[in-house]
Amino acid sequence: MAFDFRLPDVGEGLHEGTLVEWLVAVGEDVALDQPFARIETDKAVVDLPAPRAARVTQLHFSPGDLIEVGQVMISFSGDAPATRDGPAADAAAAPTGNGTSDSAAPARPPSVAALEDSDPRSFLATPHTRALARKLGVALAQVRPSGRGGRITDEDVERAAQQPVAATRPTTATPAAPSAVTAPPRAVPQVIGEEREERQPLSHLRRVIANAMAHSKRTAAHVTHVDEADVTDLLAIQKRACQHIETKGGPKLTLLPYFIKAAASALIDHPLLNASYDEDAQEIVYKHHRHIGVAVDTADGLVVPVIRHADQKDLLTIASELADIAERARRRQLTLDELKGATFTLSSLGPLGGAFATPIIHHPELAIVGLHAIKDRPAVVDGQVLPRKTMFISCSYDHRIIDGAVAARFMHDFLEMVQKPDLLMLRL
Amino acid sequence: MPIIEVNHFTTRRLQILDPSGVVDEQLMPDLGDEALVGLLCSMLRMRTFDEKALNLQRQGRIGTFGSLRGQEAAQAGLTLNLIDEDWLVPSIREQGVLEGRGLPMHLYYSFCKGDERASQIPDGLNATPQSIPIASQLLHAAGLGMALKLRNEEAAAVGFAGDGATSEGDFHEALNFAGVFGAQTLFYIQNNGWAISVPFSQQTAAETIAQKAFAYGFEGMQVDGNDVLAVYVASRDALDHVRSGKGPYLIEALTYRMESHTTADDHTRYRPAAEVEAWRARDPISRMRTFLSRQGLWDEQQEAELVAKVSAEVEAEVEALEAMPRPPATDIFDYMFAELPATLIEQRQQLIAESRNGK
Repeated sequence: MAFDFRLPDVGEGLHEGTLVEWLVAVGEDVALDQPFARIETDKAVVDLPAPRAARVTQLHFSPGDLIEVGQVMISFSGDAPATRDGPAADAAAAPTGNGTSDSAAPARPPSVAALEDSDPRSFLATPHTRALARKLGVALAQVRPSGRGGRITDEDVERAAQQPVAATRPTTATPAAPSAVTAPPRAVPQVIGEEREERQPLSHLRRVIANAMAHSKRTAAHVTHVDEADVTDLLAIQKRACQHIETKGGPKLTLLPYFIKAAASALIDHPLLNASYDEDAQEIVYKHHRHIGVAVDTADGLVVPVIRHADQKDLLTIASELADIAERARRRQLTLDELKGATFTLSSLGPLGGAFATPIIHHPELAIVGLHAIKDRPAVVDGQVLPRKTMFISCSYDHRIIDGAVAARFMHDFLEMVQKPDLLMLRL
Repeated sequence: MPIIEVNHFTTRRLQILDPSGVVDEQLMPDLGDEALVGLLCSMLRMRTFDEKALNLQRQGRIGTFGSLRGQEAAQAGLTLNLIDEDWLVPSIREQGVLEGRGLPMHLYYSFCKGDERASQIPDGLNATPQSIPIASQLLHAAGLGMALKLRNEEAAAVGFAGDGATSEGDFHEALNFAGVFGAQTLFYIQNNGWAISVPFSQQTAAETIAQKAFAYGFEGMQVDGNDVLAVYVASRDALDHVRSGKGPYLIEALTYRMESHTTADDHTRYRPAAEVEAWRARDPISRMRTFLSRQGLWDEQQEAELVAKVSAEVEAEVEALEAMPRPPATDIFDYMFAELPATLIEQRQQLIAESRNGK
């Protein structure tokens, strides 16, 4: 029988943990007590071992995600769970008691009769809230929780008391609402009163992004330099190479590896754009390596995995790494380490890239390049107006450290390699 | 009046089996092959039960747990000398001794689930419940040692504590009381170097814990707590001394806690990794294994068979643990007071009202 593993309190009185990495993949078999994930809590980084031999069927979070104690983090198929204390030992009610629960069993009782019979302890609420619910004649099962970790608050109870559903309150029950009697209450769309908005707590990733962006905007003196690049020749080269490589079963070769290579090469000659600023020490930190962060759009939000030593890698290697990163980002298997250590960042939205934008510097780096949409535009070539493939490239830099001329010289060299691939070849 | 030397003390430290697995033939106890192998087996048992507890905690099946890893010799060497009439007064890291004396491990595991029934020690085992407050149990050990003396019984009360407990007032009161009244108490201090994050260097200005016994009028000695043979010899002699009514005794077993204080702690934040690695080289199990292998008494196959056998026992104990009926929630009120104070009576009733299980 399948079972879910809920994040237990692996310390003492913990509420949450951050997933550091998965040690298993979907479809993989785990042995009894084999570690399957690494979790970082306020206390420590710990490995979580499998409660029994089973096969992984689903990973519910990605590395970097914040998981609350009691949330299902991984699902297995395999043997039935070990002997349990009985139905009262719902992990939601007692997350430190049992880390596992049957996913085969319905999450919530299917009828109101069952709801009234259901164990009130399987809902999270303080004694005060429970007393209030009794006073107002509200069944906890009928209440939509808004508190941390699915906790039912006093306000939730009061709101529920004002609702006309009330199938569990015979005094106000109306036969005109039969659907509310048979449907599980949590499945009923929650349109409460005249409210036309709803609130959604930020995911861990969103919180990280929000803090990072706000911090960068608050501290760095952003200036954005924009220039136009003619990439007609580069596109022609990439197209030929792409066809050649794909017939040989190689990785998908987009333009991105060329831009990564060009940026990493230009940074060799412009070390200040590859540096960071140590605000506490008021020191510029020059890096002797060029690790290029690549901003990637995922279903969960923006992540910035890193291509390490990009200046020393060939285009094929960079293309393979990008393909691997994209695949593992989709499978939520990127590790935290892979998202750290960039010295410079490239942001690309591909065809969605718009005319140009003003990227925010990836703190504590000092510069970021934005790659925008390639379009057919008229360009003057040798005195003639011709249709060419062109794009705008933006570069935001921290004017506290980098002066305009320094950034302009970097952009000049970077664009020259992008526009004249024969110059880029000198760096390969 | 001239200055005269009133007295003079010498603190001894015993080691028989060194970290490389070589024994001092002069000091070697007269133990048969079976008993020697038994000491290794009992240490391996402790470690297997301990590793499972860590996994159970990480799976959310038990709560906070303190590993004894690294202290197996300090517990196995003593356990071999214990007799049914002795009283065990444990702190929180004595699961090895308790297991060795027959406490079913599912009861120990259930203690880590906060189950009050775990403190109901089975008949036939003279042990008090684990004591969470630091050093308070040493007063109980002094009292039990007094009782044994008054009843003229040839037995000892063994009070367990760690290095941190020696800074508590209770430690000094217990030693003083035992010394004055000649209690049949062995104070067994496992100095594992760290009281959570406080290193031994900050625990006392004295060079040893053993020497503190002299101030209270009885003898103490140090022993290499990772040397199961030295622990065996030192505790055998100390228990003989105590049981025969010659007064209390203190043993300081020098050992090392290889894991964090408990699962609610992260020792890497305060302990140098090099120190932990240095102690790994002094592992109590590997040195005994080396010695027995050289004697032709132990090999890999024997060890694999033993670990498989113990692992099966461990899984059976886990099954027994999870087959235990859920304790009533009111247990949290029912064992502390003979007569419950009014405020707690009220809380207890409220709990019953809110919990169908609170009968």
